[in-house]
Amino acid sequence: MAYLIIKDDIKNLLDELIKVKAVFAPKKDAEDTVLFGKLASGAEWYGDSLLTHTTAKDKVYLQSETFFKIKKDKNGVFLEDPAEPAETVIFGCRPCDARGFDIIGKLFNWSGFVDEYYTKRIQKTTIITISCEKPESTCFCTSFLNGSPVNSTGSDLLLTPLKEGSCLAEAITAKGEAIITGYSRYFKEAGAAEEKAKIEFKTEAEKKITKKLDLPGIKQKLDTSFDSSYWDTAHLPCVKCGACTFVCPTCYCFDITEKAFDNINSERVRSWDTCMSELFTRMAGGVNPRIDTKKRFRQRFMHKFNYHVDNFKEELCTGCGRCIKACPVSIDIRSVIENV
Amino acid sequence: MAENIYKPHLAKVVEIKAETGDIKSYKFELQDPEVRKTFTWKAGQFLILDIFGIGETIFTFANPQTRSEFVECTIRKVGRVTEAIHELEIGATVGLRGPYGNWFPFDKWQGKNLLYIAGGVGLAALRSSIEFALDTFKDFKKKTILYGARSPLDICYKDRFSDWEKVPDTEIILTADKGADGWKHKVGFVPAVLKEVHPSPADSVAIICGPPIMIKFVLKELLDLGFTPEQIVTTLEMRMKCGLGKCGRCNVKHLYICKDGPVFTYSQLKDLPDEY
Repeated sequence: MAYLIIKDDIKNLLDELIKVKAVFAPKKDAEDTVLFGKLASGAEWYGDSLLTHTTAKDKVYLQSETFFKIKKDKNGVFLEDPAEPAETVIFGCRPCDARGFDIIGKLFNWSGFVDEYYTKRIQKTTIITISCEKPESTCFCTSFLNGSPVNSTGSDLLLTPLKEGSCLAEAITAKGEAIITGYSRYFKEAGAAEEKAKIEFKTEAEKKITKKLDLPGIKQKLDTSFDSSYWDTAHLPCVKCGACTFVCPTCYCFDITEKAFDNINSERVRSWDTCMSELFTRMAGGVNPRIDTKKRFRQRFMHKFNYHVDNFKEELCTGCGRCIKACPVSIDIRSVIENV
Repeated sequence: MAENIYKPHLAKVVEIKAETGDIKSYKFELQDPEVRKTFTWKAGQFLILDIFGIGETIFTFANPQTRSEFVECTIRKVGRVTEAIHELEIGATVGLRGPYGNWFPFDKWQGKNLLYIAGGVGLAALRSSIEFALDTFKDFKKKTILYGARSPLDICYKDRFSDWEKVPDTEIILTADKGADGWKHKVGFVPAVLKEVHPSPADSVAIICGPPIMIKFVLKELLDLGFTPEQIVTTLEMRMKCGLGKCGRCNVKHLYICKDGPVFTYSQLKDLPDEY
């Protein structure tokens, strides 16, 4: 069942949600950069930009997460678990970002080994996604199976803006359903005309995405191109800053380190890491299987479009295009893999 | 929710033994009696050792499941965490999590000759496998251990060899890159000694671990001797953080050393890129 919500009521809904949950939505910071920030009121939500500078990934998969606190004194070692995560809403992310949660969620549950930090947070998070009316030239979500400006994978509630100043609201999960039933005064049932309007919205939006990659063909090429001389030159412009990995909705690689405060207190911390760093694979004693920048560059694209497909039957990419925008030397992920 | 995969079990250091100038062996006793009962592993698997206040790192179980009263590791001082480990005293509390990875496929090796080839601290990675084979010796034919180190002083597990040799059909061949006064064993690099010993590939498996350069030349010798890639088994190491294929750094192609390895046959490795 689809519903309608008037655009003006969205701010009222946010005001209500803020009372009971931590609500993160696109918001301008002091320098006018649009980032996911915690809302103090619905009016703070800035809905006019297509993509936030960084993703909402860090609201579920924290950039730095304390696994447990350690106290080591003469009585022994004591481990203290962190506080339970709060009920959270991610409002106004795009289908590509929402699909990112679906992709890394599978990794965090891979082979039956459950990462409880990610799992607890995603269970307590409601993701309200807004379909993309005006995709940009860096967008390429339609290259992926099910990828589209109206795709609902990873979302709990999908809002699609329609022409008459209202949004079509579709509950994708029970958590999305709970928003509609819990705040039913803002939602009214949609009719066949609105559902038809959504199909038109999809057609129009998809038309704006002109770049379509042949991902199965690229996978096949990558299968046999590990030793290709292509990589000898492809990596040369890359400055190995790792910005691409930090703005990515699907890059998940992490480090585990110890943060020691003094001789008694420390914390075990997991933090985002980047395969572009030389330290990423350097072993004690100095041996490093990916010491060359060429090898690290190749690893990034192979992981996303070849290795991950072997393990999970889907690419480690949603086509959001943030890495293209963030790259200081204008490396375009689409051309890198197309030109192999 | 199931057990937290990143949280270690507490254990105490109960024995420390200096093996060489920079290698020590440790025995750890798990603190929780329930965990002690259920914590098991198979020869070839590894664990993550947690030095609270310093950090975690990866080691193979040095002892097999047939000698599992304690958890044993043999550790060479090589970096920040291993330096801290070498400072540990008896009674210190550490953390253990695991076991991780696959194990040596003993069920496929029934009735075969086992040829272990190790260099340096690489013998620590094979000890669990060697002692498992010795504890279940009736299942195998001849057990040969060819072990080399830089010098006689760098030979690890010296005091275990006499017990190993007591097991029927077991032979130990020791070599040092450079000899010394009183050294009664061979002098020379492991691959050269392997060539001289000339083991038959018939009904045999070769299990190797050591520095990359040794592995490279040992592989060449084994292939020259007629061993097929399926008959050669090794164990790999790479930098790891999680042990469960999630942190993303120990992959060779789509395989994660921590999860799909660390034990691989040469027939698997020869089709993988040389990125380990």
